[in-house]
Amino acid sequence: MNDGILGVHGVSKSFGRHTVLDEVTFGVRAGSIHALIGENGAGKSTLMNILGGALRPDSGTVTLDGRPAAFADPSAAIRAGIGTVHQEFGLFPNRSVAQNIFAGREPTGRAGFIRWRVLGRQAQAILSEIGVDLAPSAPVGTLSVAAQQMVEIAKALSLRPRVLILDEPTSALSDHEAQRLFRLLADLKSRGVAVIYISHRLSDVLQIADEISVLRDGRLVGRTTREASPGDLVGMMVGRHIESITPSRRTKLGEEIFRVEGLTRHGVFAEVGFGVGEGEILGLAGLVGSGRTEVARAIFGADRLDAGRIWLDGRTLAISSPRQAIASGIGYLTEDRKAFGLFLAMTVRDNIVAASMPKLVSRAGLLRPRAIRAEAARYVRRLDIRPADDRVETRTLSGGNQQKVLLAKWLSVAPRVLIVDEPTRGVDVAAKAGIHRHLSGLADAGMAIVLISSDLPEVLGLSDRIAVFRQGRLVTILDGASATQEDVMRHASA
Amino acid sequence: MRFRVSGIRAREAGLALMVLVVSGLVALAEPRFLNASNLVSVGTGMIYDLPVAAGMTLVLALGGIDLSVGAVIGLTSVIAAMCLRSGVGVPLAVLIGLVTAGSVGALNGLLVARFKIAPFLVTLGTMSIARGAATVLTSGYFLSGLPGAYVEIGRGELLGVPYPVFVVLGLLVVFDFLLRRWKPLHDAFYAGHNPAAASLSGIDVGRLMFGGYVASALVAGLSAIFMTSRLAMGYARFGELAELRAIAAAVLGGASFSGGTGSILGAALGVLLLAVISNGFVLLRLSVYWQGVVSGLILVVAIALDASRRRRNGSR
Repeated sequence: MNDGILGVHGVSKSFGRHTVLDEVTFGVRAGSIHALIGENGAGKSTLMNILGGALRPDSGTVTLDGRPAAFADPSAAIRAGIGTVHQEFGLFPNRSVAQNIFAGREPTGRAGFIRWRVLGRQAQAILSEIGVDLAPSAPVGTLSVAAQQMVEIAKALSLRPRVLILDEPTSALSDHEAQRLFRLLADLKSRGVAVIYISHRLSDVLQIADEISVLRDGRLVGRTTREASPGDLVGMMVGRHIESITPSRRTKLGEEIFRVEGLTRHGVFAEVGFGVGEGEILGLAGLVGSGRTEVARAIFGADRLDAGRIWLDGRTLAISSPRQAIASGIGYLTEDRKAFGLFLAMTVRDNIVAASMPKLVSRAGLLRPRAIRAEAARYVRRLDIRPADDRVETRTLSGGNQQKVLLAKWLSVAPRVLIVDEPTRGVDVAAKAGIHRHLSGLADAGMAIVLISSDLPEVLGLSDRIAVFRQGRLVTILDGASATQEDVMRHASA
Repeated sequence: MRFRVSGIRAREAGLALMVLVVSGLVALAEPRFLNASNLVSVGTGMIYDLPVAAGMTLVLALGGIDLSVGAVIGLTSVIAAMCLRSGVGVPLAVLIGLVTAGSVGALNGLLVARFKIAPFLVTLGTMSIARGAATVLTSGYFLSGLPGAYVEIGRGELLGVPYPVFVVLGLLVVFDFLLRRWKPLHDAFYAGHNPAAASLSGIDVGRLMFGGYVASALVAGLSAIFMTSRLAMGYARFGELAELRAIAAAVLGGASFSGGTGSILGAALGVLLLAVISNGFVLLRLSVYWQGVVSGLILVVAIALDASRRRRNGSR
């Protein structure tokens, strides 16, 4: 079994008293895709950091071509032929695509001056090789998230790795873009590269992996192939069998309480209109860049609208700032919780009350500590946030629990309309199911919910109706009960 | 420093302990440190730095920095003294001085909050402008001969304590309370920690930043009014390196260059620590010229502590 290019033999790693990896053994063969799945905290990232040279194991060995390989640092791993694409990008936004791909390894002349033309040519060669249509001179910061991901992959591939490790590579990609990535991975595989693919998305894993290893609580608990069913995989990941990941819901729709008409922001989206009923979940589906998040931000007053009207409970709203939107009864749970959602170095309590503070202060504006404590404790309990201590720094929580904190922040505000943007991106299966349950519960209690998600099963499972976006326009609204993934994709990418 | 004292003021407790230790060392080396007259002079000497450090704490909590405060002291001093010498009444002269200070703060706030220019650059520029203007206005000379009614502000005493001490202590107590407990100011921690998330949580980040720079300049102006009065002259070089001491004190007291933290009580203790050290220098007859070196050293140490604190937090 360890005839592979890369072998991991009985690797263990602890941080303090906390054992993160416990005697993990597995091997990866050249020309194959090996998926590594597991819930957050299962030890996937630690394992990846060990393979990439960022961490050293406490015991056990890593072998390359059968010989023990102890990497002193990440550059040693890179020299040995192990390329890593991290979930969070390490790109320089104001440098060009070419400079990013060759950062620190620019071709130079004898005196050390960078040979820009050679740099551009080499970057172009790599981009063409992986079939990506990007200008080598474009600043990375101007690119979409998906394009940035491609730059990151190009950077890893420019080192000609024999083993390529990808961490959650599709979490920021639309389905269409993910498919393109999969074709690229299949191509690499045919050229003999060993790919280690770390992901939460079972559908991705089942589509492309030759072998699947499941980690739970730092132990390798199962090894299977893509013949496995999603239910089997989830069962191995959480240690019990879960029938359906996303609960299907059907509600009696209430009166329409929220409506937008003719929303336009020049060059971004145009003439967007939809209504949401009391207790309804309206899904917004579409490819990344189709304008869904931009519409949400404009409704919420974070970006300017060039035209359009917004009604809530029959009254026209004039919203020019998030502050006014919140006061009017609209909430917006942002995508990218780290950049736009959470105050990571502040406590869970501070985060939960960040937007609902106006109701937790006295008339003179003085904070009421007891009310704040009670409010935070209530939502920690209600959403089962762990650890159940609202005085810990939010950054110490797992991704799923951080996302719950973000949801708690908006529940505490109790808006009439809640827009949730990618509410389960990068969270584990159990937390995802919990968040779905809460969104359903909120709708059942009468809140109007607008759900933006690139996770199609999630949109299909939760939404009463699905508005499909394409290139800044709302192209159709489908019935959530009868729509299929194919229906949505046909409208989204036609 | 990692203190596990119950409650959130562990850092201040640690700093207070450090003040006691340093005071003890100074007193051992030079027993005159504990003379009542010496302690009073340490106390009154802090009066000018305290408000500035409090304002700096607010600006740092907001994720900014204000290098212009020392220069604002010089400019305010000169403007107020010029008004007084040309016969303007005391209340009006004080007002004009504070308006001058506030205008520099408003300019800082406008450039940072509205035009999104890096605060370090903005206030480096206004620092040079304010100090330069003060020097041009006076050709570098002292402006003495200020009216007695004005000098009384800084020199007058109640129960043997100069008036400014009451004003400054009152200001600090109120400021400390409001920053911890009053929503409009408490929002500064959110805004400084993650401006994008704060804005999407309904906090008006731009208005807070603008207000922070105005407040920082106003308290510097207040210092200038007291200093000009107590020393009975206007001088363009008043407040030199005040920004450096204020930053050192605020960072010692818990503020961070990454924003989102800081405490007025902590900053006040930081000022106290600096004052004790510099008093020790005087008592031990070390040249006063060393004080710049020492303030700078303390700033560097405070920054190093802040950086290591952030590294430790970030490693998780």
